[in-house]
Amino acid sequence: MTPQSLLQLTSQKCTTGCPILDRLLYGGIPCDSITEIVAESGSGKTQICLQLSLHAQLPVSHGGLAASSLYLHTEFPFPFRRLHQLCLSFRSSNAHHFPVNDNPCDRIFVQSVHTADHLLEIMSKTDPFIENSKNQVPVRLIVIDSIAALFRSDFDNTPVELKRRSSLFFKISSKLKALAKRFNLAVLVTNQVVDLVGPNEGINGLRIGNLVCLHTSGRRVCPALGLAWANCVNSRLFLSRNEEVIREENEKSNGQSCDFVKKKMRKLYVVFAPHLPETSCEFEITREGLFGVER
Amino acid sequence: MEIWRLPISASQRGKLISAGYTSLSSLSSISSSDLARELNVSESEAMNILKVASHSRGSETSNASCSIVEGAQSAWDMLHDEESLMHITTSSADLDNILGGGIHCKEVTEIGGVPGIGKTQLGIQIAVNVQIPNDFGGLGGNSIYIDTEGSFMVERAFQIAEACIEDMSEYNRFLRKDFQECKIKMQPQDILENIFYFRICSYTEQIALINYLDKFLSEHKDVKVIVVDSVTFHFRQDFDDMALRTRVLSGMALKLMNLAKRFSLAVVLLNQVTTKHTEASFQLALALGDSWSHTCTNRIVLYWNGNERYAYIDKSPSLRSA
Repeated sequence: MTPQSLLQLTSQKCTTGCPILDRLLYGGIPCDSITEIVAESGSGKTQICLQLSLHAQLPVSHGGLAASSLYLHTEFPFPFRRLHQLCLSFRSSNAHHFPVNDNPCDRIFVQSVHTADHLLEIMSKTDPFIENSKNQVPVRLIVIDSIAALFRSDFDNTPVELKRRSSLFFKISSKLKALAKRFNLAVLVTNQVVDLVGPNEGINGLRIGNLVCLHTSGRRVCPALGLAWANCVNSRLFLSRNEEVIREENEKSNGQSCDFVKKKMRKLYVVFAPHLPETSCEFEITREGLFGVER
Repeated sequence: MEIWRLPISASQRGKLISAGYTSLSSLSSISSSDLARELNVSESEAMNILKVASHSRGSETSNASCSIVEGAQSAWDMLHDEESLMHITTSSADLDNILGGGIHCKEVTEIGGVPGIGKTQLGIQIAVNVQIPNDFGGLGGNSIYIDTEGSFMVERAFQIAEACIEDMSEYNRFLRKDFQECKIKMQPQDILENIFYFRICSYTEQIALINYLDKFLSEHKDVKVIVVDSVTFHFRQDFDDMALRTRVLSGMALKLMNLAKRFSLAVVLLNQVTTKHTEASFQLALALGDSWSHTCTNRIVLYWNGNERYAYIDKSPSLRSA
């Protein structure tokens, strides 16, 4: 066994497609590590996943990985139409990288997953799959959307079952990390949130990460799957959405007046990451995708 | 060599045994006045006893009966050794204070905490700080970083290395204005080169690596710290046989302690936390269970209190709880 030379070990990143978000993430989603995106439903997790699978196909000089991606989805249906929409705008803005008849959607491999055991099965098959893909466009990104759905229904609330659930977390995470290391993949996982009831922060009064508490839609939440899963991921990002009432000045015919308009405020926070400081930024979701907003 | 074989009077023998001296080696490092006080005899009698003891000891040098076990030192020698050992600073004055100067060499220190509190950051910081040259109060050694989770980010290590060098040059400027030769010749790249980085993906690899470290350390004598981040990750999957897990873990811990003592280096283990089901409530505990908690010398727990990070010494033979 020889130690790896640190000077040659630079971690590649996959761009998110937006320079503001990339700046927040110091380049994008890192390879050889598991990044988790936590958000309530409707916050944009799937949007970011789709966007990343498209941008992974960009050449390395433009921040991509020049790679195809494997998308494992657990919640039906897979948003094909939205992917198509994003694909069109992706192609039009990056036309010079792709030949005319090329469809970036061809390089996104979609697989549906039903249970946690099914996921383990799939992962043992992924090894040869990625190996084979090296000949054409190698797979360098794995997206699991969402991991929480696999675990939230099958397990009872007894200590034995919970223990089994925890050991499954570590098994899955360790397999993902081994894959990530072997093929230098970036792994993106999405997670749901649960509500926090009671005065303490976090489950059982436990605070994880930079933020004192995660807020979204006016409620205090915390990521699902608990402490065990939090130990399995390398970085965690949180997307929040809130309805804010903003004053907007309007010029009307009978003089100036201001309207109070409800606006959706979306923010991306870094909960914890080994290479990122505690930062956040605002973003919005448009037809072309998810983009950061600089205020 | 037992006391009852000494050619001394029966009453003296009786007093010796009741005072707790049952073998010659226990008499070897005591002075006659102390012995006289303990046995309640006159000093000349005590001196006599000691003379007899050393005499019979001297005649049996072939048996090497001075120390019961070869390599055993008297506690006085050990205290002297300990005082001369250096510590590795953690770059946080408060943490260094409660640790008594820093991370101790020849000891296994375990640091645990919730995800996101900074265990990996502390590990990287220690791996960089051990390289501070002797002139600046550091150990000037290399480090081994064993990564089991993939949380080591080279760019972050680079940042920390740069900051460390900046700190050293500031120190240089303030305090050593006349020592122009002590300029910092280190570059961040050099610091990174001195960190031997291993990435392992399964528990068998982890054990194999720790076994291999013996050979590695005898080739690289200037390694002064081993950081394992984190030691528990691969052991939390289902092990069908928990007894096997305990055996493997204690074997590993023993080897690490052995390495620490033999090569005079510090071992830092980073651990995760888990919830313990005690009665009806949940409590936070460091992972790997109670049997593991016996194997490390020092334990530090990192936790959040409000908006700040706190460190708490959970177990240590020489430091107060703080």
